[in-house]
Amino acid sequence: MIRKCFAAALFLMASAITIPILADIARPNPEKEEKFVTHSGFEIVPDGKAFEARLEIPQALWKDMHAGLTQIPTNPSLAQRIAHSSPRTIVAGLFLFLSFSFAGVWFARSGQRKQRITAALVLGLAILGAATIITRANAGPPGYLRWQGLPAALTEGRTTRGGIDIVVVPEGSTIKLIVPLRKTSRTPGEE
Amino acid sequence: MQQAAEIKLPRWQSTKRGAHLSVNGFVYVLAVCVAVSALLASWLPLQVSVVTLFLFAGPHNWFELRYFLLRLPVRFGRSRTFFLAAFSGIGLLTVSYVSLPLLYNLNLWPGGDWTIPLAAWNTLMLFWTGLLVWLRGKQRHTRDWSLTIPVMFILISVNWVVPQLFSLAIVYLHPLVALWFLDRHLRRTRPEWLPAYRRSLCALPLIIVGMGWQLTRSSPLADDNGLFWRITQHAGAQLLPHMSSHLLVSVHVFLEMLHYGVWLVALPMIGKPAGFWDVKTVPLARHPLGFPRVVGATLLMGVFVVALLWFGFAVDYSTTRDIYFTVAIAHVLAEAPFLLRMI
Repeated sequence: MIRKCFAAALFLMASAITIPILADIARPNPEKEEKFVTHSGFEIVPDGKAFEARLEIPQALWKDMHAGLTQIPTNPSLAQRIAHSSPRTIVAGLFLFLSFSFAGVWFARSGQRKQRITAALVLGLAILGAATIITRANAGPPGYLRWQGLPAALTEGRTTRGGIDIVVVPEGSTIKLIVPLRKTSRTPGEE
Repeated sequence: MQQAAEIKLPRWQSTKRGAHLSVNGFVYVLAVCVAVSALLASWLPLQVSVVTLFLFAGPHNWFELRYFLLRLPVRFGRSRTFFLAAFSGIGLLTVSYVSLPLLYNLNLWPGGDWTIPLAAWNTLMLFWTGLLVWLRGKQRHTRDWSLTIPVMFILISVNWVVPQLFSLAIVYLHPLVALWFLDRHLRRTRPEWLPAYRRSLCALPLIIVGMGWQLTRSSPLADDNGLFWRITQHAGAQLLPHMSSHLLVSVHVFLEMLHYGVWLVALPMIGKPAGFWDVKTVPLARHPLGFPRVVGATLLMGVFVVALLWFGFAVDYSTTRDIYFTVAIAHVLAEAPFLLRMI
């Protein structure tokens, strides 16, 4: 009991120290901060006949970018609506868990073959729902994997597609494209 | 005791007109009604929507009210809890639905997400339906209804992920409930028509697919005035921007016309002939322990509301339409307990 009280006191003290430390950090200057606007798909298309590089922006994306900069509410897509409402996703997950639990109990108690098939179907639906919520909640494989083949694709004149974060930076006069490339090929000496 | 407490509900004898109608005749009438509805809804969706709502919304509600009165026992007996839960749920859910716009404006929701009160209302409705199913299941021991609970939780979960689409699904599914009522009713009164009726229902998805095939690339409807904008929004044009608003409104109007057709044509056609106005045809009024005055006053009040609705549509169609669709949630909810009583 004394150990638990001691541990709790230690935890509270550590928290009490940490909070003032964090509070003492100077507030960031919003004017010098970069601003995340939106995330979109990006496609690099080598064109042997073009004389000038061209940036094509779909109208819907342009509206998103504009809204991201000016905080104007837009009509978001279904995936965006889900991704941007964590309270609803949490409640949905909770009820899905309840459904899974009740269906599992029902499955365990059901004796007849027909009932078992039905219960299995309901369980399957619940698992499918859970998978949907989980895949919405996780971003999937890292984006840089899609850009790994860019050098080879440019050499061969092929198109490369991947995700892109559109960020507005406070300084500079040109549009900059930062492509995440990781070294994957090992030199003989590395092994 | 239960049998003594509850009156014998009407058997719905066949009518003279109904007796002469053969199965083939029934299917023929059904096919013609469905085809005409689909054609009109596809051709002039907005105009047909305005006209059908004006003509049939009120009367179909009156016929539903009368139908529910017909199916109401004089004494609830062991169904007391079921009916208590049903009526209190209808009242509470209707009041909360009407007050939803007020709740949106309170802006108490995390991140200003105004769909949270909508999702909460849908959750309450699903819990209420689940409760009714559970209570009904307790009365009928021949069936195991416990699977309803996990299904209800799945639906609640889906509702929290996409609350607006869930509400839109109710808008589209509600007209189909009338077809379920007709199915149950035929099973009791004309079981020989049931196979033909169910085969006819198989054509319904084909017709909707056909409408989709014809209208999916059609240009969006001109919703440049307030009324047409309301109609396209009600059909989900804003929620489903990738679908043609012409298709959405057409399918919705088609389903609504089927709904009105069932309540105004099909059910009366196979029901009692004489007198929708005769209060004594309602068992709740005819029984020695019944309430003829209450039933008569309720039906008369219904006629007055129908006339008031017509007057409202004539004076200000858009506002009356908004009020009607808000208050009409009560009849959507009322269908649940009475349908459950027939299963």
